[in-house]
Amino acid sequence: MTIFLASFGFGLVTASVLAIAAIGFTLQFGVTDVLNLAYGAVMIAGAFLAYVINSLGVSVWIGLAVAVAACSAGSVLLNAGVYAPFQRRGTSPITMVIVSLGMTLIIEFGVQAIAGGTSVSYKMTQGPSVRAGGLVLSTVQLVVIGLSVLVMLGTHVLLRYTRLGKAMRATAANKSLARNCGIRTGRVITATWAITGALCGLAGVVFAMDAGSFDATATDLFLVLILAAVFLGGPGQAYGAMLGAVVIGLATEISAAYITPDYKYVIAFVALLVMLGVRPTGLLGARA
Amino acid sequence: MNSYYIINLLIYAAVDAMACLGLNQQFGVAGVTNFGFIIFQAAGGYAAAILALPDQSANGGFQSYIGGWNLPFPVPLIGAAVVGGLLALPFTFLVGRRLRGDFAAVGMLVTAVLLNLLATNYRPALNGDAGLSLIPAPGGQQFSVQSSGYQWAFTAGALAACALVYLFVRRITESPYGRSLRAMRDNDLVADSLGKNLLSLRTAMLVTGGAIAGLSGGILVSYISTWSPAAWGYAETVVLFAAVIIGGAGNHLGAILGALLVPVGFEEVTRYIPTSNNLPPNLIPSLEWVAIGLLIVVFLWVRPQGILPERKRVIKTAGQTPSGPAGADVLVIPPPARAAPASPVPSAAAVPSAAPERPPGPEIVLEAIDVTREFGGVRAVAGVSFGVRRGTMTGLIGPNGAGKSTLLAMLAGTLPVSSGHIRYQGQDVTGLAAYRRARLGLVRTFQLASEFKRLTVLENLLSAVPDNRGDSFRGALAGRRYWRADEAAAIARAQVLLDRFGLEGNANSYAGDLSGGQRRLVEIMRALMAQPRVLLLDEPMAGVHPNLARRIGNELVALCAEGLTVLMVEHELAIMDEFCDPVVAMAEGVVLAEGSMAELRSRTEVVEAYLVG
Repeated sequence: MTIFLASFGFGLVTASVLAIAAIGFTLQFGVTDVLNLAYGAVMIAGAFLAYVINSLGVSVWIGLAVAVAACSAGSVLLNAGVYAPFQRRGTSPITMVIVSLGMTLIIEFGVQAIAGGTSVSYKMTQGPSVRAGGLVLSTVQLVVIGLSVLVMLGTHVLLRYTRLGKAMRATAANKSLARNCGIRTGRVITATWAITGALCGLAGVVFAMDAGSFDATATDLFLVLILAAVFLGGPGQAYGAMLGAVVIGLATEISAAYITPDYKYVIAFVALLVMLGVRPTGLLGARA
Repeated sequence: MNSYYIINLLIYAAVDAMACLGLNQQFGVAGVTNFGFIIFQAAGGYAAAILALPDQSANGGFQSYIGGWNLPFPVPLIGAAVVGGLLALPFTFLVGRRLRGDFAAVGMLVTAVLLNLLATNYRPALNGDAGLSLIPAPGGQQFSVQSSGYQWAFTAGALAACALVYLFVRRITESPYGRSLRAMRDNDLVADSLGKNLLSLRTAMLVTGGAIAGLSGGILVSYISTWSPAAWGYAETVVLFAAVIIGGAGNHLGAILGALLVPVGFEEVTRYIPTSNNLPPNLIPSLEWVAIGLLIVVFLWVRPQGILPERKRVIKTAGQTPSGPAGADVLVIPPPARAAPASPVPSAAAVPSAAPERPPGPEIVLEAIDVTREFGGVRAVAGVSFGVRRGTMTGLIGPNGAGKSTLLAMLAGTLPVSSGHIRYQGQDVTGLAAYRRARLGLVRTFQLASEFKRLTVLENLLSAVPDNRGDSFRGALAGRRYWRADEAAAIARAQVLLDRFGLEGNANSYAGDLSGGQRRLVEIMRALMAQPRVLLLDEPMAGVHPNLARRIGNELVALCAEGLTVLMVEHELAIMDEFCDPVVAMAEGVVLAEGSMAELRSRTEVVEAYLVG
């Protein structure tokens, strides 16, 4: 029972990190139509930026704020400098994915070239542990869960109640129709890159906090989890990504406690392939 | 020493070139984007290793693996190719028609990442992270492996295997079957509607590419005698993609060039970078990856067709139509009735000339029975029932959003029905895939331009021909002599059509380079090449000059007199007046009325729904 509770606690933290990352990824894909596989690389770039600031003796939480801002700006630039020009030219979705793979190599190994191939960790205290009904969580873990809940609520408010959120949904549903209705889709897309880039940076730093130590290739496997969560909920579906993140996060950590941790990603992998094969629109998506 | 360097270089070049040829066959020719390509090479490597290795205990017992059969050359290499090909089968569910190409690619990428993780962590089968070593060289018992004679023989063998692979993929690509693959690459939905079985084509490409990758892995492992998960990370696939894109996707010589420039070139160039203790240890390898990423992005932007672009297949046409009556106004298109397959239909000759006065005579050849299609909550087509009679040219009109194109798509099988039934030639085809309906002679065209852009006009036409002996994997392998007669007959037919529609001068232009109106013509001609019995046309005259539209209309009427049946969506009422009878009027997903245009004009509800507003 304690094993179950302990792994459930880990699962909650993983699900929280995953939710932040998956919401960003799915909104990015849904609104901008770019299946950006470089998302994981941008995450790790943010995590390393926070590390650089942290190693100067500054609190990692300030590093987090800087990483969020930098990844937001970086994602806007990535779109404006690479993806948008390709899209304007009418590049096919599959070629866009190849471009994003190329960007993955550039960013990920660019980080590795600067940072070296070794693992690093933030200098931070985990804070006093909190016990609740058999669950033991550190303060940092609670903060990560809290941040994730805030992101989910914020996403809900954004999409339901703000003009920008409604414009994002309209653009995702039908870009040319949205433009004909007077929505400035170009601005909406730029705003989407800014928002999802910020989520990506946030996800990168809390991922690194949760992982303890990380190197430049650490998000290669985490990207599998993100993709699994996104496709479980249906690509482009923000609420689906939240659901997918919770399911995948809990399933991987709880299975890790009972099988061996080496294979914990297998569940996410199987979920992803089943969704792709059986229902690519996701659990919450419309029928094909 | 020097010869060792050259041998090493040549063997790596052969292995990389083979892998690039396999990937190019999948990606460049058939448009199957397999981001997990490297796992097929890996599987071949492991297969060759466990077939060649002796029993664990006999090998010192320091590594654990399954198999250990100690089989002689060439069994391990054959096994490598077989395993690589078989490994493709579980992935065929990703490449059917249902799944977007980019999603399937992501599925393959994730598979590659996960299989590498599993192979790294699970030791009993393939010795996990440490990998397999001391893999015996082919013929190692009989010959002295270290001798330069053996090394050169191995090199010659690797180069010969590479040459064979090149001839093999070229034979497939340059056949009618290869043309079908390239058509699928350019527009899979349209290829499907012309009778191409996408699942079968893609499966064949996954297996073929997998077998080639497996063989390359087997040769590599036989040479370097070790194989571990570190050798086949997911990013190695990206290197091969970079090679194919830079060399020229779709061009097999380009793929070889790419292999020499990217994987081989990078290995050689970095050899000459002086190592210095001042540099961080991972700097050079990291920058290599960055450079490969940059090469991909920059090439896709600056020269997406690669250094050696796919070459244009110019087919020599015999000038003016070589044989046959060929008078400009005589219809020489072969009659569409092709040996009526076991349906109790009166011969085509019994029903012609019925069109003008439209008696209730000819039987219904295509029928929608209470057909419905919903998108989300919207009922685009809400319970439509109507029949198309043989030999008629039936029109389908209605305001935008009436559900005409949706109905057409359901009749052709491009879209599944939400409810209802579709009967064709007395047979319920509701559950039949589009390509199978096309093979029964139910062929459609598309509202939006749907030419195969990187096929010439003539190739577009030839791609639709059913029953070409070369349009199968086996037929392609049998070689040109096997299918030359069918091909010549198809070219002759295409030529007649090109002459009639005035596009003979563009026969060898890329279809993507034509004007909008010309592309509509290509599409109609291509549909006719498919030898349809029932032709579903979605706004065929849109963007076509009125004179030419009239000429198309006359051609279609003439074909109807020979037994073809046409159902045509068109907004231009003058066309309907002149050619179509009866005409079906739709609005908001239901059929309002059916009759001649004169009758429809007298019906107030039709006039209100369409003719006025």
